[in-house]
Amino acid sequence: MELLISTLEQGLIYGILGLGVYITYKILDFPDLTADGSFPLGAAVTAAIIANGGSPILAMVASIALGALAGLITGIIHVKCRVRDLLSGIITMTALYSINLRIAGMSNVPLFGKVTLFKNPLVEGTLTGALEPFSAVIVVLIVVIVFKVLMDLFLKTKAGYLLRAVGDNDTVVTSLAKDKGSVKIMGLVIANALVALSGCILCQQQRFFEIQMGTGAIVIGLAAVIIGTNLFKKMTFVKATTSVIIGSIIYKGCVAAAIQMGLDAGDMRLITAVLFLAILVAGNLFDRKGDAA
Amino acid sequence: MKKVLALLLAAFMALGMMAGCGGESSESEGYTIGIGQFGPHASLDNCREGFLAGLKEEGIVEGENLTIRYSDANFDPGTTNTIAQSFVSAKVDLICAIATPMAQAAYNATDEAKDLPVIFTAITDVESAGLVSGEVTGTSDMLPVEDQLKLIRAMMPEAKKIGILYTTSESNSVSAIKVYEELAPKYGFTIVTSGVATQADVSMAAADLVNKVDCLSNLTDNTVVGALPIVLDAADKKNVPVFGSEIEQVKLGCVASQGLDYVALGKQTGKMAAKVLKGEAKASEIPYETLKESQLSINSTVMAKYNLTLPADMMAEATDVAK
Repeated sequence: MELLISTLEQGLIYGILGLGVYITYKILDFPDLTADGSFPLGAAVTAAIIANGGSPILAMVASIALGALAGLITGIIHVKCRVRDLLSGIITMTALYSINLRIAGMSNVPLFGKVTLFKNPLVEGTLTGALEPFSAVIVVLIVVIVFKVLMDLFLKTKAGYLLRAVGDNDTVVTSLAKDKGSVKIMGLVIANALVALSGCILCQQQRFFEIQMGTGAIVIGLAAVIIGTNLFKKMTFVKATTSVIIGSIIYKGCVAAAIQMGLDAGDMRLITAVLFLAILVAGNLFDRKGDAA
Repeated sequence: MKKVLALLLAAFMALGMMAGCGGESSESEGYTIGIGQFGPHASLDNCREGFLAGLKEEGIVEGENLTIRYSDANFDPGTTNTIAQSFVSAKVDLICAIATPMAQAAYNATDEAKDLPVIFTAITDVESAGLVSGEVTGTSDMLPVEDQLKLIRAMMPEAKKIGILYTTSESNSVSAIKVYEELAPKYGFTIVTSGVATQADVSMAAADLVNKVDCLSNLTDNTVVGALPIVLDAADKKNVPVFGSEIEQVKLGCVASQGLDYVALGKQTGKMAAKVLKGEAKASEIPYETLKESQLSINSTVMAKYNLTLPADMMAEATDVAK
């Protein structure tokens, strides 16, 4: 039971990361490796703020702002300096390692005994009794729903339509007399703000910051997007954002199951790769039979 | 549609499996311990081996009255949370956490299950890891820096500068360097450090550092120790001896080390765990411990190469790995 709850917690937290990766990978068609740096960036800022007694909400705001800044930098490197998409993400990600270390002050910062989003008088006062074991899930769920709804609403605005247009067919954007470069930058800003927020929440939930926690963030994000969007491809009533979050939970569930079954953690990446491939191939087979997409 | 259903089904079966595993483990008499290790690593493996040996000396034997659930996170901090949580949900009697991020994850996961003690080992700086209050205790692997400095002084009476390579992401190394810098002036040394971010940087950093120092001294830094042959190579070109931080490194070609015996450290940890399991003391009542004695090991072949000698009394207690 506890494991199921913790899988849900983890899945939801990484679901926010998935939402960010969804914007870059699916909507913009931009392989953005900034995520491996902006995820721990959110965690580093959070560690610095909370370790000094700052508010968990402030940590969230700061993470979003700095994540957005990281996305902005990748965007500027790509659009204004004309560096290839993959490389511009790698450049920002590499720089962020040093910056994260500076921000956090140390490579490992514990937050035990501090006030966090999950451990504060409000949560401890309201979510008591039978709800107590679920308090963390409930908090994460609220955060995830808020940001998912915000993102759904945003995608329906004019800016949201432009964002989708840039990924699908950027001449449309140009024909609307909009600069496709700035639309791309906007997408990267939003995506990395979400990724950093995910790092912020994870840091508060696990109550320590570790510089290596960003390694492979992009893989988890991609897993959420690929699993989610492929599973719910034909169910058009399920919003893409919802499916990404469910994809993230399924991925974390598979990892937890693998550990429970005693599989070697060293093999985890191989299992992930096989899972990816299986889902992608299954998705393609499905397409061919259906509408020959 | 069929395929989608099949995939969904597979995913839920996986989820169901872990839910199933969660329930079954409240079995018979005896103890169940969850051992979580940050990753596969010779020193950490030695810790685990020692831990089991320590329990055995107290009459808690695997297979007889002890069931072990073991997982390692392959150095991925994200996996540590899942492992720790799986122990909590399997209702183990005690969690043994090896290395800092694993211990922090276990400490976090057991917060709701207040009676589940966490015994850690192989943590250099327990205070800054935040593992000081609650049902948590264990052993620290803070290096016997002072003994190491004495050893270097005894072997190299003229040396002034000690070079230390470390990884900026390893908090254990940063803590150990602080201790080195505090104690070095007492023995007439200055410390020159060089930090790397990844194993790929080790070669350049080592080549540069050996020009500035009289000898190198290793920490228990995973990245640097993992690239030890590169360090030894660079040092050899400039005739700079390298001092190790444990016997395994001396076997690989370091001159000597006044280091930790991780098996002994694990044993000490195992005995603490036994106390907690038998109910003799609560984890919160036992302060964390460090290994009392360090172990001197030398490599006489390498010593001869650099024309280094040791006073007879130190020679007598040393383990020579070249023999």
